[in-house]
This record gives sequence, structure tokens and C-alpha cells, in this order.
Amino acid sequence: MERTAATSPSTGARSMRSIGRFLSNTGPLLVLLFMLAVLWTLSEAFRSPTSLMLLGLEAAAIGIVAAGQTYVILTGGIDLSVEAMVSFAGVIAAILIAGTNVAGGQIANGIPSYLAILIALSAGALIGAFQGVLITGLNMNPLIVTLGMRSILLGVSLVITNGAGINIQKDEFLSFMTQVIRIGEDGAIRVPMVLIIAVIIYFISWVVLRHTRFGRYTYAIGGNETSARLSGISVNLVKIRIYAISGLLAAVGGVLVMSRLVSGAYQNGTNMTLMSVAAVVIGGTALTGGKGGIWGTLVGVFIIRVVEQGMVYLSVPSNAKEIVLGVIIVLAVALDVLRRGDIPWLRMRRRAA
Amino acid sequence: MNADNPVVLEMRGIVKRFPGVVALDNVGFDVRRGEVHALLGENGAGKSTLMKILAGVYEADAGEIIFKGRRVSYHTPKQAQVAGITTIHQELNQIPLLTVTENIYLGSEITRGPLVHWRAMHKGARALLERLHLDVDPRVLVGSLGVGQQQMVEVAKALHHRSDIIIMDEPTAALSLREIDDLFAIIRDLRAAGVAIVYISHHLNEAFEIADRLTILRDGRHIATRAAADLTMDELIRLMVGRRLDEQFPKETAPRGRELLRVEGLTQGDRLRNISFSVHAGEVLGIAGLVGAGRTELLRAIFGADPIDAGAVYVDGGRAPIRSPRDAIRHGIVLLPEDRKQQGLIMGMAVRENVTLAVLRTLTRGPLIDRRRERALVGQYIQRIQIKVADPENLVSSLSGGNQQKIVLSKWMATAPRILLFDEPTRGIDVGAKVEIYRLINQFVANGGAVVMVSSELPEVIGMSDRIMVIHEGTVTGFVGRAEATQETLLEYATGHRKDEGHP
Repeated sequence: MERTAATSPSTGARSMRSIGRFLSNTGPLLVLLFMLAVLWTLSEAFRSPTSLMLLGLEAAAIGIVAAGQTYVILTGGIDLSVEAMVSFAGVIAAILIAGTNVAGGQIANGIPSYLAILIALSAGALIGAFQGVLITGLNMNPLIVTLGMRSILLGVSLVITNGAGINIQKDEFLSFMTQVIRIGEDGAIRVPMVLIIAVIIYFISWVVLRHTRFGRYTYAIGGNETSARLSGISVNLVKIRIYAISGLLAAVGGVLVMSRLVSGAYQNGTNMTLMSVAAVVIGGTALTGGKGGIWGTLVGVFIIRVVEQGMVYLSVPSNAKEIVLGVIIVLAVALDVLRRGDIPWLRMRRRAA
Repeated sequence: MNADNPVVLEMRGIVKRFPGVVALDNVGFDVRRGEVHALLGENGAGKSTLMKILAGVYEADAGEIIFKGRRVSYHTPKQAQVAGITTIHQELNQIPLLTVTENIYLGSEITRGPLVHWRAMHKGARALLERLHLDVDPRVLVGSLGVGQQQMVEVAKALHHRSDIIIMDEPTAALSLREIDDLFAIIRDLRAAGVAIVYISHHLNEAFEIADRLTILRDGRHIATRAAADLTMDELIRLMVGRRLDEQFPKETAPRGRELLRVEGLTQGDRLRNISFSVHAGEVLGIAGLVGAGRTELLRAIFGADPIDAGAVYVDGGRAPIRSPRDAIRHGIVLLPEDRKQQGLIMGMAVRENVTLAVLRTLTRGPLIDRRRERALVGQYIQRIQIKVADPENLVSSLSGGNQQKIVLSKWMATAPRILLFDEPTRGIDVGAKVEIYRLINQFVANGGAVVMVSSELPEVIGMSDRIMVIHEGTVTGFVGRAEATQETLLEYATGHRKDEGHP
């Protein structure tokens, strides 16, 4: 009977799926802990408070951008404009604070920084919402809309700054936002303010996604847009809001990067699109939408940061950084496929065997 | 047909289980060369599942397939086709934007070096079409052909692959009477050429006309295989149904109340033309018609899922402007779609999340969803609708078809609707669960609701409706009362051979 069609509904595929499910729930966190442990043992430099503070500092901005990306990917979309939005928001805020779009010395003749930041964030949300309108109202592909917007925003940033960074001087508000809080004896533990902001944003996002109607609709649309619409959900309105959130959070990331560098430049967001998508996928959110969550993305962000920082401490030539990151991203997507247990040729081989 | 023809295919002891349902329970069946073998049974009897196992779409849990003397098992439809088993589906799976030639040769193109040898392919295609007496230029796009001709192109493709067996799944569902005659002529030619045909149909007359032998399945079991000559229609129906009609359709008539829904002059392109009807409280209005007549389109248009060009919907006597499903739900109209998995449910979500999807608005406290109230509501519907699920946190994808349908029903019942638009209420649902769905329909109209029910199953339409509206090519051809409804009458209206004038 072994060569009949009678093989049971392939136990292989089922165990593959359950392994995948386990990996997607706890896998990323285990990987992160393992990487931290390795680095902790191998590198003395990594154990220093400064290096740990840096880890949090570097993770904050990209983390906030990736949080926005999580909303979008959960609906089954993608936002490729985020890196341009990071640059654009930073440039806008910097120009408003500096009161000039001419690169130069440390000047601050413009409006108060909190006002400038508010304007930059509103611009981010509005541009995001506009993308949402194009994607839903005109039924355009999100890939194309956000790729186009990426070009436009980068171009505008480049034109209005003439390609140079706009330097600013920190006022009280900016100093508060960029401070590092010292805790414990001798301030041994140093927590950057931006990390606290990031964690607050993650917590709010978790509440929104898991405990509000809007969050439930987000998952429903990613799970099956047709069913969602036929269940009376205003799919278009939800999606417009999703892209607005992504735009807003990318702008928040942009403002934080700008404050840290005290300069708004069109390169501020370089690589952030790829990193944010990678963080979301590494964190276990399905690119097809409907499955995953915000905490996974935070873990994904830290995995990326630990790899980047770890390579420095382990003296991997910095030029090789891109290669390692690329490998991680491809592995993460492979994991996404494996998680669904849906690899046709593999399934077929198992059955034929 | 010669009864001594050699057996080309034998399926033995086939078992197939889906979550919660045994679709096939130890089913056997054989086909001879040059034979037309009809496979008959009600919806859910297991005909399509059996053929999908043969064609490599599904994998059997047990049993064996012997084809041309060898044990085989195919993992993809492509493998089966190469081996000589072609399926012609109800839904044609051709690529409309490719030409006839390209579709016939898809995946087996003739090449000369690295290039496609168009001349040879067109010539080959033309020869195949000629064999089928089909006057079609192989260079035209398949999408520009009529349904009947498209089907012939599939037959041509089967000939191209030198198929030993052609499985035809409801081949006449979308054909005109003329096209059906053409198809039968070709089936007879193929039979004479030694090709075996497995013919699946709901139309028993057709099966008698064309088949040499008939195999009857019921509830996933093999009931009988007989020569067509040895079987009468009465006997066939008894074998298929296995129980009396009133057990199958536990229809209870509810008192007819005031008018709840009225549709006037609804028009949508060529698909729906000036459709008017009304439904009263306590009434089930059945809608019958052939595939493609506009039944599903009509329900979707009323529900606001697709835009309409003209017409109006009145609820409770008042004009109800419906531009989206949300508007419809607000007016107490809900749609249970034909394709539950794609349009009614979110398969990756839990039972709880699916049941409350349409009423989350009422379950919030401030900005947050009140999980306690949500769980209570879900528990209440699991009991009331009798959904068999161990834990409301289970994914709906793990449930059987009947329970999935009950989830969709629960989702809508939670919105307290007054009008159910029910598209194919029992498609893909096993017999026991069917009866439960029927009882829920009874209950709904007994409580003063109205149901508009579309079904391809004429017995179901006749068994469950108080009145039946028949549509043909987007227009209403007649209304038939429960007492006068027979399959023959409905078919005459549905094929456009009979048409009452002057409908409201």
C-alpha cells in the first residue's frame, strides 16, 4: 500500500508547520537572547554601559519607523516611502527651527522646536493619508504609490536644502528630548529619552492593535479584505488611517534622528525602509497581512541593531555589514514562508517519497 | 458501448476526510474504455472530491487508483493530465487573454530551437478544432469566445494531451440547449474513439441520455453502479436521495406579514435588467436560474457590494439608499455569500473574532473592546446556533463547512437583521448540517424575518421557498408558488423557454 495515494495528510508538512508556528511565536526572541549572550561573552566592549546605551539609542528611531511599517504590513500593504519621510520630516523641522534653508553655522532664528516638530509630524501624517487615498480611492498598488512618494520626498528634501544638511541649535525642548537619563549608583544605567519614547509608542500600538476596534479591523483587512468589506467595515477609511499612522511615525523617527544629529539632511533616513520591513518580517509578521504583532517588530529591530553593533565589536570589517544584513533579511523572509508551511515543491517531494 | 471493453481506470477503497467531515468513505468505482460513466449524487455526496483525488488536486487518506493497469497517484493536476486524465471544470480554467492555440498548447508548446513554432502550433490547433467540428480561428483570444466554445477548447486541449479519460464536471451548467446538443455529439464521437468520459451532472435527464453506466454516491458512500438501461428515473432518485423529501427539507410555513423588502427596476449593465420583486415578513423567496443568470449579482447589488445603474430598494416601505454593505447592514439587510471562505469569513482569525466582526461597535467601552462582553456574546451564539467548536479561540479554518456557515450566520444574527440574502446556503455542507441550516432559516422567518435564497439545487429551492422567482440572463422570467413548483417548470423559466409577461 505504500505507493498508493494513501499517505496520510503528510505528517511532515504538519510538523513543519507547527515548528514554524513555534518559531514565529518565540523564535525571534530566542534568537535575540542567543545573540546577546554570545556577544556578552565574546566582547568586553559590548558589556560597557555606553555600548548598551548606544544599542537602545540606535534602536529607538528605526524602531518607531518599523512600528508604523507594522500597521501597514498587517493590512497586507507596504510603505516604501518611510526612509524619505524620515529625511523630509527632519529637513522640514530643521529649516523651521533654523529659520533658514541655507546650510551654515549653528543658528536658531526660527520658531520654537516643539512647534516645528508639530508641523513636521502633521506633514508626515497628511502625506501618509494622501498615499492612503491614492491606494484606496484610485485602487493603486501601494508598492508603486509609496515608491513614487519616496522619490518625491527625497527630491523635495534635496531641492530645498540644496543637498546640504541644515544645522540647528538645540533649545530646551530638544535637549529634553535627546537627554540620557541616568539611573542607579553613579548613573551606571543610562537610558536614552528616545528609547522611552519608542517604548511608549510600542505600548500604545499594542493597545491599539489588540484592544481597539480599529486594531481588529486592521487584522481583518489583512486577513481577508473582501470579507472585511462585506462585513460592513469601511476598509478604505481604515487603510487611509493606517498609511497616515505610518507617515506620522516615520516623521517622528525623522525628527528624532534630526535632533540627535542636530542636522536635517536628505540622507538622514538612508536604509530605513529596508530595515523597517526587515524588522517587521524578522519579528514574525506575515508579508501577506493579517498575522503578527507589534512586539515582534521590536524584537526584530533589536536583532538588526545587535547584528550591526556586534559586527563592530567583533571587528568584522564595516564594509561587510551590508552582506550580513542582506542575509538576515532573506533568511527572515524564508522563515515567513516556512511558517506558513507552504513550499509546493517540498510538499510534493515528501508525498512522492 | 460494448460492455466487454477493458477497464481503463479503477479506484478502490478511497477515503478522504476534511476537518469535521468524512467526504469519502471507502468509495470504489471503475471506468471502461469508450464508456460514458455518469457520476451522480446530491451536493456534498462526494462526486467532485472523488474526481479531484483522481486528478491530483487532493490526496486520498486511504485507497488506491489503478490506471491502465498500474497503481498511480498524482500530486498535481498537471501530472494527471500528462498521464492522460483531463478534467474540464465547471469554472473553465483557461486564460482569457491568450489565444485558442496558446491555451491548448499551454505548458507543452512546440518549439524550434529557443523559439516557439507558431505555424506548427496553429496547424495542430486547427486540426483539433476540426475534429470537434468547431469553426473557430485558433488565433482569436479565448476570452472572446462564448462559454460553450470555451468548453470545446478545453476538450481540444484534452485531445491534444491524448487523454484516456476526460472528466466533465457539470459541463452543461452554462450551456444553451443548442450547445448541449453539440457537446453530446462530441461526447459520442470521443466515446467511439475509445476515450472514457466521467460525466458529473445534476441533470438526471442528461445523465440518462448520454451515459452508458451510472454510479450513485450519497453522503460520501458508494450506493450503486448500474447500466443506464437497467435503471428507471424513480429508482435513480430514490438511490440518490435515500430519504423522503420532507425529511430532507423540514420546511415550516410561517404567517405572512407585511412587506419588508421591495426591489424596483434594479439594473446593472447587462447582468441585471429591470428586476423588481418584494418579500414579506415570514416569507422565503427562492431565486432560481442557471449559472451566470445573475443570481449572485442580484444579491450583491441589493447588499451594496456592487454598484447599480438604476433601480431602488425599499425597506419597510421606505426608500433605502444603499451604497455599501455598511448601509445595507444599517437597514437590516445582510448577505451570506456563496463563497464563505473568500467572502464571509476571515480564515486566519478566531471564531470569536469572526462572530463579533460586524458588531464590535456595540462591544466597546471607551476606545477599547470589552473582552468580557465579547466572549459572553460569542458564547451565547455558539449555544443558540449550535456551533460545534471546542474553544472560541480556535481558528475558523479548523471548522467544517457547516460550522463555518453557522459562524457567518452568527456574525449576522448579532446585528439583529430582518432580511437575509442567502446565497447557496448549503453548498459544501454535509447532510446533517444542511438540515440544521434549514431549521435556522425556519426560525428566522418564524420570528418575522424575510429570506431571499439563491440556490443551484432545484430541490432545495422547491423544498425551502414559499415563492420562487426565476431569472434568465439578468431578467425575471416568472414567479412560481410553492405548490406549483416542479423542477421542469423552473427549468423552462430558467432556460428562457417560458416567460410570464407583465411583472411588477
